[in-house]
Amino acid sequence: MPYSTDPHRVTFIVLRYMRKPILVLVSVYAISMVGWVVIPGVNVEGKPEPLSFFHAFYFLTYTATTTGFGEIPYSFSDAQRMWSIISLYAGVVAWLYAVGSIIRLLQNPHFRYALAERHFARFVARIREPFVILCGFGNTGSLLARGLSDAGVTAVVIDKDIDRISALQLRDYRVAMPGICANARVPVVLTDAGLMRPNCKAIVALTGDEEVNLKIAVSARLLNPAVQVITQSTSEAHEEAIATLGSDVHIVDPFQTYARYLGATIDNPSIYVLNRWLVGDKGANLDAVPKLPRGKWILCGYGRMGRRIQQALENLRIETTIIDPGILQTDDSLPNFFRSRASQTTLREAGIAQATGIVAGTDDDAYNLSILLNARALNPNIFMIVRQELHMNERLFSVAGAQLIMQPNLVSARRILFELIAPLLKPFFERVRASRIDGDDGFLRQVFEELRENVGSNAVPRLWTIHIDDQSAPAVHSVIETAGEVTLRDIFRNPNEREQRLACVALVVRSGDDIRVMPDRNHRLSNGDQILLCGHDKDLHLLEATLNNEYTLNYLITGADQPRGYVMQWVTRRLNGSQPMAT
Amino acid sequence: MNLEKVIFGFFVILALSLNLSFFIGRIDEPAHHDVITFFLVVVVNIIATGLKLGDRSQIGALLLATSLVADILLIAAAIIWTFAVHVSDAGMVASTMAIIVSLAGGALVANIVSVATVVGETLMLRR
Repeated sequence: MPYSTDPHRVTFIVLRYMRKPILVLVSVYAISMVGWVVIPGVNVEGKPEPLSFFHAFYFLTYTATTTGFGEIPYSFSDAQRMWSIISLYAGVVAWLYAVGSIIRLLQNPHFRYALAERHFARFVARIREPFVILCGFGNTGSLLARGLSDAGVTAVVIDKDIDRISALQLRDYRVAMPGICANARVPVVLTDAGLMRPNCKAIVALTGDEEVNLKIAVSARLLNPAVQVITQSTSEAHEEAIATLGSDVHIVDPFQTYARYLGATIDNPSIYVLNRWLVGDKGANLDAVPKLPRGKWILCGYGRMGRRIQQALENLRIETTIIDPGILQTDDSLPNFFRSRASQTTLREAGIAQATGIVAGTDDDAYNLSILLNARALNPNIFMIVRQELHMNERLFSVAGAQLIMQPNLVSARRILFELIAPLLKPFFERVRASRIDGDDGFLRQVFEELRENVGSNAVPRLWTIHIDDQSAPAVHSVIETAGEVTLRDIFRNPNEREQRLACVALVVRSGDDIRVMPDRNHRLSNGDQILLCGHDKDLHLLEATLNNEYTLNYLITGADQPRGYVMQWVTRRLNGSQPMAT
Repeated sequence: MNLEKVIFGFFVILALSLNLSFFIGRIDEPAHHDVITFFLVVVVNIIATGLKLGDRSQIGALLLATSLVADILLIAAAIIWTFAVHVSDAGMVASTMAIIVSLAGGALVANIVSVATVVGETLMLRR
């Protein structure tokens, strides 16, 4: 479909399309009017008088709307009546033709597309807040859009499938999510979507096509070097091409991300729980960390993911039996390999009665669910890990009773969401994963204890990144400027009860290149710091008030209210002798 | 307890109370509105304004604004009063008194907003 950003395009199309009908209409009117002016009539005094141009136009106008006022201004002569028959029929035909043309134009898909396009470009131009461009509204894209909506971030969506855009328009997002059906390969589409606008923060390429993702990344880098680029890629060649584009380009490999997450989860299910809890997943509870049984496991599905799971289980010295229809001959050499679909018979053969855990890890949701049902029927106590491919099957999976549900799309979507709304979470999770690899469980236990104690195990936390500068934390900024000292402990005090602390935890503090995960409560803040917080909404609001009000902040630091007015400051100074008071 | 809050609250509420006691009475009856009460209203209002100077918080700015509104209305009323008694030949008549009292009524509203803000801010901090 040809594409142009000319704002007058729609007007132009209408004019070009209506050229003939308008010409016909004008000609019919002109001929009729000339006739009226020439054909003689009779006025009240009986003198011959034809209609004037004004009266001729007036007559044609009120007859065109079928409002017959009669013969105005004087009764018509028979010659005039004959002419009126001709001009009325000609007029009706001309109008039908014109109106028909307009209706045909409105039904023309190209014209409707041009209208939608203009509406979209105007809508994007009116966005004032920071926004994200989302190319591709598939499984991952729609999950990401939902997450962005929950975080209050507007996304501009481009997808080349009209059905996906219709689906987008039916969602109940909390913020506006304008969408256009277009090919993101075309650079003009990206500029229409606001790529060059200063409040465009990032562009996310999630189209299923590697080439298109690469093209989007390149276009974005060339058109607006300030924008953050996040693309999904599964092939190494493309990843390499994208990585050379520069520093602010992030490549998310859905398989790798998912495999790493899966490995970490099997290694330590508390990472799975922590992840779910941080994004506020329904039913996530820090106290309900499932414990992986160490007996024999059955693994259904031995593709890319299955291999990874088997690896993770092997690392834990857990014995696995694999059931897979299998395509590779080499698989047969594996011990305990059943080349078959997982049915009741094969499950029984694989020894489900003795197994302690089962992984339903094929890429077919219905198949996975049937494996779960069979497994539970044969062994009610079995620990179940299931892979969910499509988000729409969520309800089925939530009632299927599996202990761990792994959604590859959701893992990718969350990874990108965190990159966009809480980039400091990345070092946090890196540290969390590393703590396990080092065999040092103390760190993870400390994280859980802090969160449990200060936020609550089954609370719904909110993630919030604060920047210590004179815009978002003016009070802290000015206290630090005047050589005062502000620690995390100070700002976490409750303004209503100084000895209590707010229900929030600092996950990461970043000052310059120095990144601290789970910083000490006595950590001194400096200007330019970024702090990633996790806590209750209500408490974060109180904290925000503290960051903005220097009297509250001073009270929290010193424990005493400082005089506010000039008069009282002067009085206090006199009372305290010559000691100067900090204001 | 905080000394500044005591002094501050005292003057803000005193301004409101005096303002009301001047305002009460038939609007155009000079005998119902005492000049000494009016003088006290003006003085206490200006002192309250002075105490509000220097506060850099948002609430401080709002309090200062309401105080300034009350001051402007009361000073306008004072000028009209002086003009009526000393300059005009007719002296204090019912219609002039009505103007002065209605201006004091406007200042009363500003003072009510002021007191409500102070009370609200104090209640918000449960300490």
